Amino acid sequence: MKKMILITVLLASSLFAQVKENIEVPYVAFPIKMGKGFDAVQANCLMCHSFGYIINQGRQSRQFWRGKVDKMIKHFKAPIDEKSAKIVTDYLFEHYGNNKEK
Amino acid sequence: MERRDFFKKAAVVAGAAAVGSSTAEANLTHQPIDNRKVSTVAFPEKRPLIMYSDRPPLLETPREVFTSALTPNDQFFVRWHMPDIPTHIDPDTFTISVNGLVEKELKISLNELKTKFEQVEVTAVLQCGGNSRSAFTPIAGGIQWGSGAMGCATWKGVRLSDILDHAGLKRDAEWIGFNGSEKAAYYETPNFVRELHLDELDDHVILAYEMNGEDLPYLNGYPLRLIIPGTYSDSWVKMLSNITVTNKYKHLFFMDVAYRVPDNKCECETPQKKAPKTKPIRKMNVKSVIGYPTNGAKINNKSAVVVRGVAWDDGHGIQDVMISLDGGKTWDKALLDDGKLGRYAYRTFRYTFKPLEFGEKTIMAKAINKIGQEQPFDKEIKWNHGGYKYNGIDKVTVEVV
Repeated sequence: MKKMILITVLLASSLFAQVKENIEVPYVAFPIKMGKGFDAVQANCLMCHSFGYIINQGRQSRQFWRGKVDKMIKHFKAPIDEKSAKIVTDYLFEHYGNNKEK
Repeated sequence: MERRDFFKKAAVVAGAAAVGSSTAEANLTHQPIDNRKVSTVAFPEKRPLIMYSDRPPLLETPREVFTSALTPNDQFFVRWHMPDIPTHIDPDTFTISVNGLVEKELKISLNELKTKFEQVEVTAVLQCGGNSRSAFTPIAGGIQWGSGAMGCATWKGVRLSDILDHAGLKRDAEWIGFNGSEKAAYYETPNFVRELHLDELDDHVILAYEMNGEDLPYLNGYPLRLIIPGTYSDSWVKMLSNITVTNKYKHLFFMDVAYRVPDNKCECETPQKKAPKTKPIRKMNVKSVIGYPTNGAKINNKSAVVVRGVAWDDGHGIQDVMISLDGGKTWDKALLDDGKLGRYAYRTFRYTFKPLEFGEKTIMAKAINKIGQEQPFDKEIKWNHGGYKYNGIDKVTVEVV
């Protein structure tokens, strides 16, 4: 009997998501800094993540930013060539750097 | 760290939680960045939260929510790894696959999960391993979370062990791989797959479809996610779609590179000398957060204030929460709730005091668990490159007026 009641309750409960149509994640315009190399950043980074992901890392060394670019190439398989990797690193260090090489 | 410093650090630019420009001087860890404002943007099924990224969505719960044991679904933090998350899932056709070293491969629908297996509930804290990362000096790599990359919910679902029993594990089964439905932009990018050893899986591990009595919100992993009470959330795979049983550990980015701390006693290192060996972050350490009052709040002189907050650990359970009003010189016990939500849940605490002087007053909270582990002072927290596992004594400074 107890089992019966349990099953009834389960059938009565919703099997649908609260949102029945497609959900839409809003687009957010982050206050990214403009400057030399920005085009390369836009072309190589934005495919996978927002600018928010960049500006919320905190101010970091050149080595840190180069390491992040390398991680995207090595682990996340982003097709970034060495020339672009350098330009992106310079941009990140100039605008979101801590003035330390290491 | 002085109060005005972290107010300065909490600078908010155009609705984004951008990090301020001040860098701490000495190599001493401090309180996490606090008082970031919630965004003006509300994400699907969420109230406006502190927002770091829209793609993948990264949302933090503001401090004032941490006065109750359960975190409301619409204020629960969000953290994804990949840019492409399914925006529509049909609950009538959704299935979870179980394959690999099993006697019988399975495809189980949501309806079958809810009707053919024993339904269980567990209340457990879900906390990002990088919660409070903004406390570390020098700045550790990763999103500079404040204290709100966490929440606690009652999760309802079925035991993983029941599902595995139903499939029947083959004798050489050893590793269980879990896969979510989020997708990368590039085909070659590794999927977000986690592997757990059979020894790590006990009966508390469940596949949950319900959170605080409601369907999981999309951004928290609708329609099904893995719940591993007591551990950091890196293995709580969202939008769980596949379970594969193997006899060999596969080398995976999200296992071998991300979410790891130095494999030494202090789990610490320096930027100049990184630890040669690392280990997974796994179990949560003992921690507490004050939900009320918040930094910068004005409270009235000679009027009783009830300090409230939450404390938790990896499931040993909270023994005491101690409060200090004199910078950590003396400590007094806070009152704890009855603990009925179980050892993996937030334990709420409250502490009443009457301020008797005008001006700034700092309140500190320190949790102690049942095996005597307690939170260290913020500046005693040792650095690690990923900024993981910060659990410094929490501190808020209010103004008595």
